[in-house]
Amino acid sequence: MEKIDVVIVGGGLAGLSCAYNLAGEELTVLVLERGDFSGSKNVTGGRIYLGPIRRFMPNLWEEAPFERHVTKEALTLMAENSSTTFQLSSQRMNQRPYPSYTILRSTFDRWFADKVMEKGVCVIPEKRVDGLIMDDGRVAGVVTGEEEIAAEVVVAADGVLSFLAEKAGLRKPFEPQHFAVGFKEVIQLSREKIEDRFGLRGDEGMAYLFIGSLTKGMMGGGFLYTNLESISLGMVIGIDAINKMEPREEVYRLLDEFKESPEIKKLIEGGSLSEYSAHMITEGGMDVMPKLYSNGILIVGDAAGFGLNMLITVRGMEYAIASGVMAAEAIKKAKIKGDFSARSLAYYEDLLRNSFLLKELDTFRHTLSILKNPRWFNHYPQAICDLYEKLMWIDENPKPKLSSTAYRDLRKNILNLQGIKDILSLRRI
Amino acid sequence: MDILVLVKQVPDTEAIIRAQSDTELDIENKYSLNFFDEFAVEEALRIKEKLGSGKVAVITLGSKKAVDALRRGIAMGADEAFQIEDPALEEIDGYATAKTLAKFIESQGYDVILCGKQAIDDDSGAVGPALAQFLGIPYLTSIVELKIAADKKEARAAREIEGGTEIITCPLPALFTAQKGLNEPRIPQVAGVMKAMKAQIQKFDLKALGLSPEDIRPKTKILKFYPPGKRPPVKMIEEEFPKNVEVLVKILREQEKAI
Amino acid sequence: MAGIWIFVEQRDGAIRKVSMELLSGGKELASTLGEDMAAVLLGYQVGPMAEKLAKCADRVYVIDDPLFQYYSADSYGESLANMVHTYDPSVLLGGSTFMGRDLFPWLASRLATGYAADCTDITIGDDKGIIAKRPMYGGKVLADVVFPQARPQMATVRSNVFPLKSLEEAARGEIIHIEPKEDSSTIRTKVERAEKKATGKVDLTEADIVVAAGRGIKGPENFHIIEELAEVLNATVGTTRAVVDNQWRDHNDQIGKSGKIISPKLYMAFGISGAIHHTMGIDTSKVIVAVDKKPNALIFDYADYGIVGDLFQIVPALTAEFKKALSE
Ligand SMILES: Cc1cc2nc3c(=O)[nH]c(=O)nc-3n(C[C@H](O)[C@H](O)[C@H](O)COP(=O)(O)OP(=O)(O)OC[C@H]3O[C@@H](n4cnc5c(N)ncnc54)[C@H](O)[C@@H]3O)c2cc1C
Ligand SMILES: Cc1cc2nc3c(=O)[nH]c(=O)nc-3n(C[C@H](O)[C@H](O)[C@H](O)COP(=O)(O)OP(=O)(O)OC[C@H]3O[C@@H](n4cnc5c(N)ncnc54)[C@H](O)[C@@H]3O)c2cc1C
Ligand SMILES: Nc1ncnc2c1ncn2[C@@H]1O[C@H](COP(=O)(O)O)[C@@H](O)[C@H]1O
Repeated sequence: MEKIDVVIVGGGLAGLSCAYNLAGEELTVLVLERGDFSGSKNVTGGRIYLGPIRRFMPNLWEEAPFERHVTKEALTLMAENSSTTFQLSSQRMNQRPYPSYTILRSTFDRWFADKVMEKGVCVIPEKRVDGLIMDDGRVAGVVTGEEEIAAEVVVAADGVLSFLAEKAGLRKPFEPQHFAVGFKEVIQLSREKIEDRFGLRGDEGMAYLFIGSLTKGMMGGGFLYTNLESISLGMVIGIDAINKMEPREEVYRLLDEFKESPEIKKLIEGGSLSEYSAHMITEGGMDVMPKLYSNGILIVGDAAGFGLNMLITVRGMEYAIASGVMAAEAIKKAKIKGDFSARSLAYYEDLLRNSFLLKELDTFRHTLSILKNPRWFNHYPQAICDLYEKLMWIDENPKPKLSSTAYRDLRKNILNLQGIKDILSLRRI
Repeated sequence: MDILVLVKQVPDTEAIIRAQSDTELDIENKYSLNFFDEFAVEEALRIKEKLGSGKVAVITLGSKKAVDALRRGIAMGADEAFQIEDPALEEIDGYATAKTLAKFIESQGYDVILCGKQAIDDDSGAVGPALAQFLGIPYLTSIVELKIAADKKEARAAREIEGGTEIITCPLPALFTAQKGLNEPRIPQVAGVMKAMKAQIQKFDLKALGLSPEDIRPKTKILKFYPPGKRPPVKMIEEEFPKNVEVLVKILREQEKAI
Repeated sequence: MAGIWIFVEQRDGAIRKVSMELLSGGKELASTLGEDMAAVLLGYQVGPMAEKLAKCADRVYVIDDPLFQYYSADSYGESLANMVHTYDPSVLLGGSTFMGRDLFPWLASRLATGYAADCTDITIGDDKGIIAKRPMYGGKVLADVVFPQARPQMATVRSNVFPLKSLEEAARGEIIHIEPKEDSSTIRTKVERAEKKATGKVDLTEADIVVAAGRGIKGPENFHIIEELAEVLNATVGTTRAVVDNQWRDHNDQIGKSGKIISPKLYMAFGISGAIHHTMGIDTSKVIVAVDKKPNALIFDYADYGIVGDLFQIVPALTAEFKKALSE
C-alpha cells in the first residue's frame, strides 16, 4: 500500500477533530478506530462546553446531534439520612448560542465520523492498532493485525490509556493515582417524563451533580444529565481511593445503591436501562503530562492526559477537540515544510501553550491534590446537612436561637482548626 | 466460476427505530451491511480463493446508503459492484425486489448466487427464494456449509432444520442463503477499505433494465406501523433463598398457569 | 372457489404442533369470512394423518408419494402452485418453520402474489382481506400487512400464536388425493442424509417451555443442572450466542437475532445478561423469568419475574420445587 500522510489512531473526539481539519487539504488521511464504529466504546458523563471550541469548527456545531442545552445546574450534598441541594436556573444559559449541551457519544461520534467521511477521509472501524513502525528513531507508521501502514506522521488519539504514547516512549506506564474510573448507565425515559420531573421545557436540559455519602468517603461523586429521551447517570471515583477502600467492595454496587437512594429513585422510575459502561478518566493533569510530540508523532486528547477533574465535573471533550484541531494545524504546517520531525512538530505545543487548554490545566494544577482530602466527601456534606436540618427542626422543646445553633455547630464541625485549613487549601484551586 | 452476492445496507441492531406515524418510521442513522450478507460475501470470497479463479460481484438494490454495502463488499475483496437505483424502487416489497434483481441478473453470467438468510430490517427472508424462482434455478436456504464439486457442476450444502441438519446436493447454477455458522466473515484490511473508497460502482435504473413501474408493483402493503406492546414492569421476587424459589413456583403455577 | 388453506407440516409420522394451531386459528378465520377451511398435506405414507385432518378441516388435499418424502421446493412448491391454480384459495397459511420460510416466498413469487413472513397474528379486515401482524427490525416495530389485490394472501405464522383447540368432530372433511406431476428428474435438490439431534426434544421454536442458560453457567460441564430442570418441566434447552461461540452448546440451541426466534408460554433465563440481540429472540414469549446475580442485568427489563441470585443455588432448588409441585 502506498505511503499515507497522516494516520490517526482512535476515532474519538480528538482523532475525528484532527481528521476533520485535515480533510480537504492535499493530504491522505486515515483514521483507525478499534470499536465497531466511532462512539461505540466512548464514555462521557454528559456535558460539552462549546465556548472554548465553537470557533474551531463553526459549521459543524450547527447540525450536530446534541441532546439538550443545559439551563439548570444542581448540586446535592448527600449525607446519611438527608441531603441538601443547591439549584441554579439560568436565563443566560437559555440564550443562543447556548454555552453547553448534554451529549451521548455513541450517537455524536458516529455522526461526526460520517461528517469526516463526507469530507473524503477514510474512517475505518474494527481496526485496532497494535504496534508502531519505528525507523531510525522516528515513528514511521502503525501496525494493525497483519498490515503495516507507513505514514509521515501518526496522531495518537487513542484515549486515556494511550498505548501509542507509551510505545513511542512519550509517557510513563499507567499509575493508578493519576486515574479515576467512571461508571455510567443510560436510562431511557420519555420526553414528557423528563421534562416533567426536571422542570424543563423543549430542549432545555439539566446537569445534576452529587457528592457525599454516595462514594463512602472516596474521592469522587455522582452525575446525572438529562438527554432528549434518556438520562445519563453515573459515578466517578479515584482509583487510588478504591484501592484504599476498607472494606473492599465491588464499586459498581455503589452505583446500584446510588440508584436506590430516594434522591435518584424517583427521578429514574419507570425508565429502562439501555447502556452500561465503565471507563477510565485521566486526572493527572499538568504534572503527569507526557511529552506531546516526537519525530513523526503527536499526541492529542485523553491520550495526552488533557483532562480536568474538578471535584465533580469532569472536563475532557473540549480539550480533546481543541488539541485535535491544533495537531491538524501543526501537521498542515509540517507538510508545507515537508518536515515531520520533532523540531517541526513542536509548533503543536506552541499552539497549545497559547490556548485556553494548557492555561486552564496550569491554573487548576493543584486541584487534585486538594480534592484527595476525604473530608470533602464524608465530613462536610454530612455537617452541612445536619446543620440545615437542625435549623429547620421544631419539636416539643422551645426552639433555641438560630444564630447560636448555627454558631455552635459551625464551630464544632466546620470552622475548627482542621476546617479552616481545608477551606484555606481551596485558595490554591 | 462467477459468483454474485446480494448485499443490503440496513439499520444495525443498535439503531433506535420507532413508528413516527402509521406509515413512517423514525430510524436512527446507524447503518451497516446486513449481518447475514457478510456470511454470503465471505463464502463467495472463499469459494473464489479455493478455486483460484473466478469473479465475485456484489449487487444491491437501493439508493444512497446502499452504496456503503457495496463498498463493504469490495473492501472485503469483491471484484465488482452493481447498484440498481430508481425513485420507483423506494417503497417496494420482497416480491418486487426479487423481480427487479432477477431482471438484472438475467443479463449476467453466474454459477452461484449467494445472499443473506434474511435482511434484518424487514426480517422477511423472502428475496432469496423468490429470486431463485424468477431465475428458474434451484436454491437452498439457511445453509451452514457449502462445498462446490471439483467439476463445478454441483454443490453440496448443509442446512439447519428443526431438530437436526440436512445434507443436500444440487446442480449449479443455484442460489444459497447464508445462515450464521457458515463461516467467520473477515474484517476488511485497511488497503481494501482504501480501494473501496475509490471503486467504480456501476449503476442501473429501471429503464436500463427494461422494466416499468407497473412491472414492479408490490403485492403487499403496510397498513400501519406501531410499537410493540410494552411488557408490564418486572416483578422482582425479593424473598430470601430458598423462599424465593417457592414463591416463583407458586406464581408460575397458580397465577400464570404456565406449568 | 375461495377458502382458507392451511399448509400442514408433518415429520416422522406426526403433524407439527404449529400446523394444528393454524388449523384451530384458521377455523375461526374461515367462519368469520364465511368460507371453508382446507388442509394441505404433502409427504409419503401420510394416510393416517390425512384421516386425522379430515376430522378438523372441511377438505383435505393430499399428495402421498415417495418423491415427497423429503421437502424440496421443486416438488412441494410446484405441486402447491398447481393446486392453487386449480382450486384458487383466498388465503394460504403455514408455520414459520424452516420449511414454511423456505417454501412460501418461492411459492408466492411463482403465484405472483404477496407474502408476509413470521407473523404474530392474523386477523380479518373490513374488506374481508387478512391483516398480517409481523415484527420488523428485530421486533422494534410491528407492522400490519395487507394484500391489496393479489390472491392467495400468503403468510407464515409463529408457534403459540393461535391457541390449540380440540377440533375433532369439528368437521367431516373430504379427502382429495392429488397426483403429483413431478418425477424424480424435476427435483433438483436432493437430500443426501438428515442428521437428527439425539435429544428427541421439541425444537426451540415450537416448545411450550424453554429454559436457557448464558455465560453465567461457566462451562459446558454445568449444563446438566439446566437439563435436569428441563426434564422435569418437559422443556427445551436454549442458550446465548456467547455460549455457542465458546462451543459449549450447538448453534441449534441459540436463541436471538442470529439464532432462533422463540415464542413459548414460559421462558426462563439463567445467567443471561439480556443483550438486545438475545432479547430480540424472546419478545413474544408469554411469561419471562430471569435469574441473574447482577441486579442491574438488562434481562430484568424484559422479564415478568426476576430473582437476583446465584443460578447454581437457584436452578437445583427450582428443579426440586417443581418436582415436588408437579407430583402433588
Ligand atoms: C464517566 C466519565 C464522565 C465524563 N464526563 C465528561 C463530561 O461531562 N464532560 C467532558 O468534557 N468530559 C467528560 N469526560 C471525559 C471525556 O469523555 C474524555 O476526555 C474524552 O472522551 C476524550 O476524548 P478522546 O478522543 O481523547 O478519547 P476517547 O473518546 O476515549 O477516544 C479514544 C478512541 O481511541 C480508540 N482506540 C484506543 N486504542 C486504540 C487502538 N490501539 N487502535 C485503534 N483505536 C484505539 C478508542 O476505541 C476510542 O474510540 C468523562 C469521562 C468519563 C469516563
Ligand atoms: C450482530 C450480532 C448478533 C448477535 N446475535 C445473538 C443471538 O442471536 N443470540 C444471543 O444470545 N446473542 C447474540 N449476540 C451476542 C449478544 O450481543 C451478547 O453478547 C450475548 O447474548 C451475551 O451472552 P450471555 O448473556 O450468555 O453472556 P454475558 O453477557 O456474559 O452474561 C452473563 C450473565 O451471567 C450472569 N452470571 C454470571 N454468573 C452467574 C451466576 N453464578 N448466577 C447467576 N448469574 C450469573 C452475569 O451477571 C451476566 O449477566 C449477537 C451479537 C451481535 C453483535
Ligand atoms: N434491496 C436489496 N438489495 C440487495 N439484496 C437484497 C435486497 N433486499 C434483500 N436482499 C438480499 O436478500 C436477503 C434476504 O432479504 P429479505 O427477503 O429482505 O429478508 C438479504 O440478506 C440480501 O442478501
